[in-house]
Amino acid sequence: MNAAIALGIVAVVVVATIALGLRGVRGVTMDPQEYIVGGRRIGALLLWLLLAGEIYTTFTFLGAAGWAYGRGAPAYYILCYGTLAYIISFFLAPRVHRIARERGYLTGPDFFRDRYDSRLLGALVALLGFVMLVPYVTLQLTGLQILLQIAGFGSINALAAVAIGFFVIALFTFVAGLHGTAWASVAKDALVLVGVLFAGIVLPAHFFGSPAGAMDAVLRDHPGWLTIAGPDVPASGITWVVSTTVLTACGFFMWPQSMAAIYSARDEDTLRRNAVFLPFYQVMLLFVFFAGFTALEVLPGLTGPAADQSFMLVVQKYYPAWVLGIIAAAGTLAALVPAAGQLLAAASIVSKNVFADYGIARDQAAQTRTTRILVLVVAALAFGFWAVEKVTLVGLLLIAYNGVTQLFPGVVLGVTARRPPAAAVGAGIVAGVVVLIDFAATKTGQLWGINSGIIALVANVVVLAIAWPIANGARRTTAA
Amino acid sequence: MTSNRAVAVVCAVVPALALTLGVIVFDRLEPRILGLPFVLAWIVAWVLLTPAFMWVAYRSVRA
Repeated sequence: MNAAIALGIVAVVVVATIALGLRGVRGVTMDPQEYIVGGRRIGALLLWLLLAGEIYTTFTFLGAAGWAYGRGAPAYYILCYGTLAYIISFFLAPRVHRIARERGYLTGPDFFRDRYDSRLLGALVALLGFVMLVPYVTLQLTGLQILLQIAGFGSINALAAVAIGFFVIALFTFVAGLHGTAWASVAKDALVLVGVLFAGIVLPAHFFGSPAGAMDAVLRDHPGWLTIAGPDVPASGITWVVSTTVLTACGFFMWPQSMAAIYSARDEDTLRRNAVFLPFYQVMLLFVFFAGFTALEVLPGLTGPAADQSFMLVVQKYYPAWVLGIIAAAGTLAALVPAAGQLLAAASIVSKNVFADYGIARDQAAQTRTTRILVLVVAALAFGFWAVEKVTLVGLLLIAYNGVTQLFPGVVLGVTARRPPAAAVGAGIVAGVVVLIDFAATKTGQLWGINSGIIALVANVVVLAIAWPIANGARRTTAA
Repeated sequence: MTSNRAVAVVCAVVPALALTLGVIVFDRLEPRILGLPFVLAWIVAWVLLTPAFMWVAYRSVRA
């Protein structure tokens, strides 16, 4: 009975959101320009929601609470990096937008292809984006699995939950394009706000009188849990927190779907105003931390990836099924809406910058078909990743960010007048990725407490700087 | 760099440093503010202050 109530609410909310997404796209003809960048007519409010759609994902909803539960204060980095990313975007995004509008870019890799005049670099960037979106989609899929299992009160096993999640994500992606996703974000954010405030205020108030009371209890049982601690704690010390903040802030807008969101803005001013006000959205994370800290005291003992279930299990145990249903529905949308955007982005970059640019898919019908197939390929890869690697939600996001941040030097230099040759940018990206693979092979996520992605980014920049004059020289020799 | 541009850069650098180096300096529990450990209160305060700084940056770039 409980399972039927909770799952029923989730199902109703998902269907209603798909309907809202379809309403948003009604009367809009769906050529690639419309499907991927919303016809470049997306105004301030909708753009705000679209960009914010990347903020309230399963990662914030479950992952941030899971880290507050499992690791404590290092989770604070999540509050810092988005804010830092908006500061960077204030300067970078309007320039990217201006170039994209003048040159008619559709996808993130289009920027590399055109600015560095290299089809190969465009394809390389597309493939890197594609691969790095897999763990990001895995994150959303894992979130769905957790929510469905908890809302099902044990009646659904993990594999069935993931399979349902896979099906719903693919369905949602096919019925709504970018415009549909943006409108679905409206419903998602409203519901997630309710869920987050409940988890972050009502839960701690119920058990400890207030969020401050919950933190007092945490400090009694785990002294030092609420401060980050010195650099001598390599796994999650202060060096790690600051390097991870910088890494993820640089990578924030490098995602193909984020680049497409920048292109889709109406004008440069819209982007600047968004950058000014988006940090307010981040504050909600504070309540997610409260939820994680409360769960740590109410239901201790969850370790590893299980910590991601923390406050949902508290809701399941101590609240009526309809409350659980509403919170789970919020979480489901927080997984579904971003996952659709990510699948669409991964599929469209490979379809456009590999298949179309290399003449494999020539006409628009072939491109649309390729995109659809690739959506399923990414979803299937994410499913496979879920099956072989059991990683926390934050862990999955960090894998994805390590890779995508390698595009940062190319985008920053790409908006300038004196750009390096494509070979140098490509060599830098390859060097960064090689360093990451080396770290992954040895299963260490850091060096001297510094996030491995930053080490890879340094290698990337060094190789780029060395290759710049060499590649220029080679070009001059060829010309002569 | 024009003086307006310089104002914008300064307005961006201050919160950026507060949210990185500032976190290293102020990673402490006491004094707790509204029950928050000091480092968390520091971060939240700067997340809320960043739009104010960036608004000044925005006005100066547009001027």
